Amino acid sequence: MKDIVVKGLCKSFKSRGKTITAVDDVSFYVTKGEIFGFLGANGAGKSTTINILAGLLTQDKGTVKLCGKDPYKDWEYVKNRMNVSTAYFPLSDVLTVRQNLRVYAKIYGVKDVEAKINQLLEDFELTALGDKRVNRLSSGERTRTALCKGFINDPQLLLLDECTVGLDPDIAEKTRRLIKEYQKRTNCTILFTSHYMHEVEELCDRVAFMEEGKIVTIATVDELKKRVTKHKVELTLAENGDDLKDLLKEEGLTVLAGRDNTLIFEVDVASDDVNTIVQQLVKQGLNLKDIHIKKPTLDDIFIHFARRKK
Amino acid sequence: MKFYRITALLLKYYYISINRVDRLFDILYWPILDVLLWGFTSAFIKDISEVNILSMALGGVILWLFVWRSGQDIAVFILEDFWSRNLYHLFSSPVRLTEHILSILIWGVIRATVSFIFLSLLAYGLYAFNILTLPILFMASAIAILLLFGWAMGFFITGCIFRYGQRIQVLAWSVVWVIQPFSCVFYPLSALPAWAQPIAKILPTTHVFETLRSILFGYGEGNLLYALVATLVFMAVTSLFLLQSFKHAKRSGMFARHD
Repeated sequence: MKDIVVKGLCKSFKSRGKTITAVDDVSFYVTKGEIFGFLGANGAGKSTTINILAGLLTQDKGTVKLCGKDPYKDWEYVKNRMNVSTAYFPLSDVLTVRQNLRVYAKIYGVKDVEAKINQLLEDFELTALGDKRVNRLSSGERTRTALCKGFINDPQLLLLDECTVGLDPDIAEKTRRLIKEYQKRTNCTILFTSHYMHEVEELCDRVAFMEEGKIVTIATVDELKKRVTKHKVELTLAENGDDLKDLLKEEGLTVLAGRDNTLIFEVDVASDDVNTIVQQLVKQGLNLKDIHIKKPTLDDIFIHFARRKK
Repeated sequence: MKFYRITALLLKYYYISINRVDRLFDILYWPILDVLLWGFTSAFIKDISEVNILSMALGGVILWLFVWRSGQDIAVFILEDFWSRNLYHLFSSPVRLTEHILSILIWGVIRATVSFIFLSLLAYGLYAFNILTLPILFMASAIAILLLFGWAMGFFITGCIFRYGQRIQVLAWSVVWVIQPFSCVFYPLSALPAWAQPIAKILPTTHVFETLRSILFGYGEGNLLYALVATLVFMAVTSLFLLQSFKHAKRSGMFARHD
């Protein structure tokens, strides 16, 4: 079963007489229980797509199905089963954390309101701040409050738009763990955007890359990594490696960095064999202390797509 | 429309009201100042000229608060959500625009009722003016017309906020007061200059206050039936405007803007 089905989604905005295309013929699906990552540079169209799915924005063209239904026709059914959270929109700052959560719990028709709020406050380490007004919280605490709201109705479909921005690393790690645990426990579907690639790598089953309003690729993280054939090789030498730089350049390799006894160069695993290269270097008198081959991360994939665009 | 969502939103406005002193203040503070100001002015005029405008002035102040409260409350509570960028969460939840507006209207009626009771008691205690001596049928129709007209103004302001954002928030505080001089709250229609009278005659509020004067002093050109019909027309037009503005806001992404 597919919890999100998007077909031919288009959205453009008019600004000072110019038409800006934010989302251009975007189609994708997310199966039930999947965590689907949305990646792309700022202005790529990720948030616009999420805002359309959240019902905050109407599309120019295209269709959206959420939880198997048309959200415009089956408003009650869809809206009660989904929720949204983002670090950029805190809850009402005049209200306390508890008051905010109580209001949203009642909006979603949550049965045991206080028990649910207590559990969420404990999960996100906000119990001591429950009676504090949102405008007195730090940005990380506000973000956690917004996350609590995102889980208030035990959603079947959760849209998380850069929901960990501003969190301390330990809380961000805990948040990711909570998201994962919740997803495993409830088999909920999550659409996740983040600028932190390691988060996407850790959480997401599949990833879509957006560029100028279009989806350029959809794949699993492993599949994406395979597409990036350039690996980084870091050599630690017994002596200064300045002479080696020229040697590597002669071999047609790109030297990325070199200082003192360390040298980093790039190999294309599709055409180059790292073993052969290293053997040749040793034959030519290279005194090698350590070698480290870095496989591409999502950061590298992100850069790969960004470079490709340029 | 779900009742539990409306009560959830009412709970939110209750929290806002108890957390923000200024929200509590404007239920009583400004209306009390108005009653004191017009009460003392009327007493002074009576002393120097033996003309008694006390009942007209106080009746005007007390009834005008229905237009003021109902019109301004809609806009201010919507703005409150804009300021805290809370419309993002509200309109991505199951809350519908009708539920949102209805909850604000109910909260506005509660606030207006509190102000009305308090001011009526104050006017009676300070100036022996009893607003309940006015005919009950007039009071009921006047309050209904003024509330509905205030809501119509509120719909217009909210529609403008949905369309143009916070930059036109000054409307929320000014529109009701721009209408007041043409509504003949404290003076008869005939006191207006010739160019202003046609404008005043179109406004339902003028007819309510003219009727008040005809009850108190036996002169006035009020037509409550016209006032009711005109108010319903204003309501219909501004409701449509609000609905179109809401759709416009969803097209433009107003509810999902960071700034």
